[in-house]
Amino acid sequence: MLRLAFPLVSHLPPWKPPPIRPRPLPARRYAASATATISSSTTSSPPSPPSLPPLSPSSAYVHLPFCRKRCHYCDFPIVAIGSSSGTAPSRVEVADDPRIVDYVRLLLREVAVTRPVSDDGVPLETVFFGGGTPSLVPPLLVAAVLDALRGRFGLSACPEVSIEMDPGTFDAAKLRELVGVGVNRVSLGVQAFQENLLRSCGRAHGVEEVHEAVGIVTACEGLQNWSMDLISSLPNQTEEMWEESLRCTVDARPTHVSVYDLQIEQGTKFGQIHIHLFCAPHIHVLVQFGYTPGVFPLPSDTESANFYKIASKRLSEAGYNHYEISSYSKPGYGCKHNLTYWQNRPFYAFGLGSASYINGVRYSRPRRMKEYAEWVQKLEDGTWSHESRSSDMKDMAMDVVMLSLRTAWGLDLQSFSKSFGKSMALSLCNTFKPFVESGLIIAMDMERQALPHMDFGLDLQNEGDLGSKVAFIRLSDPDGFLLSNELISLAFGVISP
Amino acid sequence: MAGAAVLRRSARRVARQVAAAHSLSRSALQQPERLLSSQASPEHGPRGAVSGSELALYPPERVRNFSIIAHVDHGKSTLADRLLELTGTIQKGHGQPQYLDKLQVERERGITVKAQTATMFYRHNTTSQDSDGQKYLLNLIDTPGHVDFSYEVSRSLAACQGALLVVDAAQGVQAQTIANFYLAFESNLSIIPVINKIDQPTADPDNVKEQLKRLFDIDPSEALLTSAKTGKGLEQVLPAVIARIPSPPGKCDSPVRMLLLDSYYDEYKGVICHVAVVDGALRKGDKIASAATGRAYEVLDVGIMHPELTPTGVLYTGQVGYVISGMRSTKEARIGDTLHQAKSTVEPLPGFKPAKHMVFSGLYPADGSDFEALSHAIEKLTCNDASVSVTKETSNALGMGFRCGFLGLLHMDVFHQRLEQEYGAQVISTIPTVPYIFEYGDGSKVQVENPAALASNPGKRVVSCWEPTVIATIIIPSEYVGPVIMLCSERRGEQLEYTFIDAQRALLKYRLPLKEIIVDFYNELKGITSGYATFDYEDSEYQQSDLVKMDILLNGQPVDAMATIVHNQKAQRVGRELVEKLKKFIERQMFEITIQAAIGSKVIARETLSAMRKNVLAKCYGGDITRKKKLLEKQKEGKKRMKRVGSVDIPQEAFHELLKVSNSK
Repeated sequence: MLRLAFPLVSHLPPWKPPPIRPRPLPARRYAASATATISSSTTSSPPSPPSLPPLSPSSAYVHLPFCRKRCHYCDFPIVAIGSSSGTAPSRVEVADDPRIVDYVRLLLREVAVTRPVSDDGVPLETVFFGGGTPSLVPPLLVAAVLDALRGRFGLSACPEVSIEMDPGTFDAAKLRELVGVGVNRVSLGVQAFQENLLRSCGRAHGVEEVHEAVGIVTACEGLQNWSMDLISSLPNQTEEMWEESLRCTVDARPTHVSVYDLQIEQGTKFGQIHIHLFCAPHIHVLVQFGYTPGVFPLPSDTESANFYKIASKRLSEAGYNHYEISSYSKPGYGCKHNLTYWQNRPFYAFGLGSASYINGVRYSRPRRMKEYAEWVQKLEDGTWSHESRSSDMKDMAMDVVMLSLRTAWGLDLQSFSKSFGKSMALSLCNTFKPFVESGLIIAMDMERQALPHMDFGLDLQNEGDLGSKVAFIRLSDPDGFLLSNELISLAFGVISP
Repeated sequence: MAGAAVLRRSARRVARQVAAAHSLSRSALQQPERLLSSQASPEHGPRGAVSGSELALYPPERVRNFSIIAHVDHGKSTLADRLLELTGTIQKGHGQPQYLDKLQVERERGITVKAQTATMFYRHNTTSQDSDGQKYLLNLIDTPGHVDFSYEVSRSLAACQGALLVVDAAQGVQAQTIANFYLAFESNLSIIPVINKIDQPTADPDNVKEQLKRLFDIDPSEALLTSAKTGKGLEQVLPAVIARIPSPPGKCDSPVRMLLLDSYYDEYKGVICHVAVVDGALRKGDKIASAATGRAYEVLDVGIMHPELTPTGVLYTGQVGYVISGMRSTKEARIGDTLHQAKSTVEPLPGFKPAKHMVFSGLYPADGSDFEALSHAIEKLTCNDASVSVTKETSNALGMGFRCGFLGLLHMDVFHQRLEQEYGAQVISTIPTVPYIFEYGDGSKVQVENPAALASNPGKRVVSCWEPTVIATIIIPSEYVGPVIMLCSERRGEQLEYTFIDAQRALLKYRLPLKEIIVDFYNELKGITSGYATFDYEDSEYQQSDLVKMDILLNGQPVDAMATIVHNQKAQRVGRELVEKLKKFIERQMFEITIQAAIGSKVIARETLSAMRKNVLAKCYGGDITRKKKLLEKQKEGKKRMKRVGSVDIPQEAFHELLKVSNSK
């Protein structure tokens, strides 16, 4: 894992500050004491991601919620529009579905009334069409949204424009059209290469469509950057199947691979439904349906951890960098848009259920269409006001820790300590100390060289000097990443006891 | 005073609150002191007010004090209800007994505890010519049925001259029947056997009569046959009480002397004491003193329970009633104490002995920060149950808490449950233990109520150890004798008696170490006898025993709250079980955890919990980090609720589960 940590750095897409134009600092900032870090962190060398958001977002997320049907694990805000069948690709029949057209109208209205954070316009560097199944949306409508974004916020010279696509929902012509209107990155929702697994998780496509889709994507001119999305720990998935999926993935040579470990969410078909029957006072009968993580047919924790380790191993061997818990990329192909999230930078968001992060405030839009439409209306009428619960320092610190520790880059201790105080940085390190010793956490110096845990301990004793040696901490790959929730929630306990 | 009394008291409180709510809606809010008397309102029928001069009509010859004793469910409460109805003390369907089952703890446990310490007026036709008859004042003094409270039973019986021994006509004599019979017998009470529930199809009163003859040498002709449910045979009961139970002894012209039977705390009136006047008369305004504490009080209010508090201004020799005298806490009102005319010295009545605490357990707030809340709840609760002993203690795993001593297991359970139900306290309790005595080579002796307090490596030789024992009575259908004998010998029991009480049923008497029965003995006994066994016990003397302290260690660190004292021969087995249980309930953590049971420095059981494999949330979808963050925050809160020893987090359930570790097998 140490071997991995180092070379990764150079491949991390460096965060480039937006073109600096002199402008007055607006009165409203996230938190008074946080301002200092922004400039300093961008000038330090090597370029470290700023832990606090710069003023103007340069990323936009657009939610296109339509799916043919809901997958059994999915709890995203989606709109199932149905289709002829799960196997025959339905390319045209949804094209003029009035629900899509109506929705895109709403989206355009939302874009139109969203004021850029600053008037002197930082253009958008990344746009991400997520879903849902955005590939169900006719390219012309995607173009309309892009145009609206360009008109409202500006698009940089070579922005990253990603779109999520599902096998069976597009053909070569449609993809060409999308590329034609400016899409230059595809995130292909393959999930698995086994027919039975695809079926059992309720995907609307089979393996044949997967191969077809991969063929279309790799053959498409003008599209070099694409991601293969996989899910591990599916019901009945075996190690052999997982190895097979990884092999097929590597063979398809995407520039990026996302590997998501299946999450069992309540309210999904896979999720647990608990029914309490109250038979008498203090006699409860608990009836459960659905899957329980770690219990057959889901892989055990050990197997599932093993899948994660296998992915890390196989993909690294194939030349991918494990730059984030669930993301791998060929050098130079990290997802710039997602990096916005991990670096805690602001971003716009549009559409049903989407979450924006603007002026230090995270806001999630309504997840139901009717409420979302009403919300857009209010926005236009100017009658919607932000319950401006702008996050306090503790929230900010937790965000920074949670997001940065997901990445191979890790947490920049200097910048953290400047923003949130040396004592917090110190207690964080003290809490993590046993895990530096056990190898779940790696401490690194300024040159991102891993430090022996002894040095880490010494550095901690030398309070005034925190960061003299230790500059970064990151979770190790794969063991630390695998326990990220535990480790991050420990950190939360330090930040907000 | 003890748990059942506690229940009864709180039942009364509930009743009072209900009644108060009624009165409040009608009467003036600014007269709370009227609430109690106002509930003796028309709905309770023909009772009305009772004046002091009326009470004067009942000299001791016209007074009978009796109680009803029975095995649980043999119909004691129903019979009591019927007698109260028969005498017009309560009206059928109107009385407050319905209120009394409202306490959750009573309903769940089926230990119906009714406020039946009540005064009844009854006209008795002594002869057929004497058509007017004579009026008698009858005091029914309630006794709790459960074994934990036999101390309380005896103090209730101390105020009686007779008892109705109620036996289910189908079930016959059961363990508590026997225990209660002997308590009554030893108190020299006249016993009237009442074979109840004769309306049942399986009733076999003749067999019950035979059992009574064989076990207690009771003449079959003495038994009354009744059905409290249908009313059959009830008319014989009160005449028998008057004819067979002697009137209370006592000197009418002596200074007042009375036995304190019971006490409870009332928000409006303060401490209310139930008393039996043995000698003399007690009047409002009198100055009285406690023989136990020496403190003096003025009688602010005095009256009878009819069945609600009914002021009379006076109580005469042999009568039973209540006194309010400005006591601030029930701790001043010691059950069994003698109250007497102030400034006179009197011979205290027999009966006062401090409650004996036989079961100890540590009580800790589930959330360490709730110590104050728990402390407050315990203080409130002990206000009405002074029989619980409470001392502060500190544990490395659980923080600040209390070591509480109880009269028995049920008492402990009830206390625990009431803390949670009535005060909303979330409590972790430690493995219940009994007071052991350890003697060292240097002659020093310690009584150990908390195993953690016993040094694991004392550095001096333990010469001998003693543990408390009980004499257990078990009655079972004869086909279960084998398994029950097995169970008792697993529990280190010594058989004292094995007889048949009739053709089908056997009676076993065992001496058992108290520790062996405090956790799961009764459940197991019920289990192996398909629920047929009845069980009762009384405290017996200490016996010498080969005892050792067993520590539980997590990654080498002892968890004081899990320390326990076990019999040397059982240590291995109990250790295994504790360790296995812990392995099940401690969650995997980011490092390996070794769980050990050790005696001194010798490890006797060991399990390893391997490190957690994964705990990762892959997706932060569309930048929506709020849900993930909430999840992590929840995880953080979860850690906070855990108890930590060294670096190991122990979930609360682990402590709860340890309580269930069996002593047998």
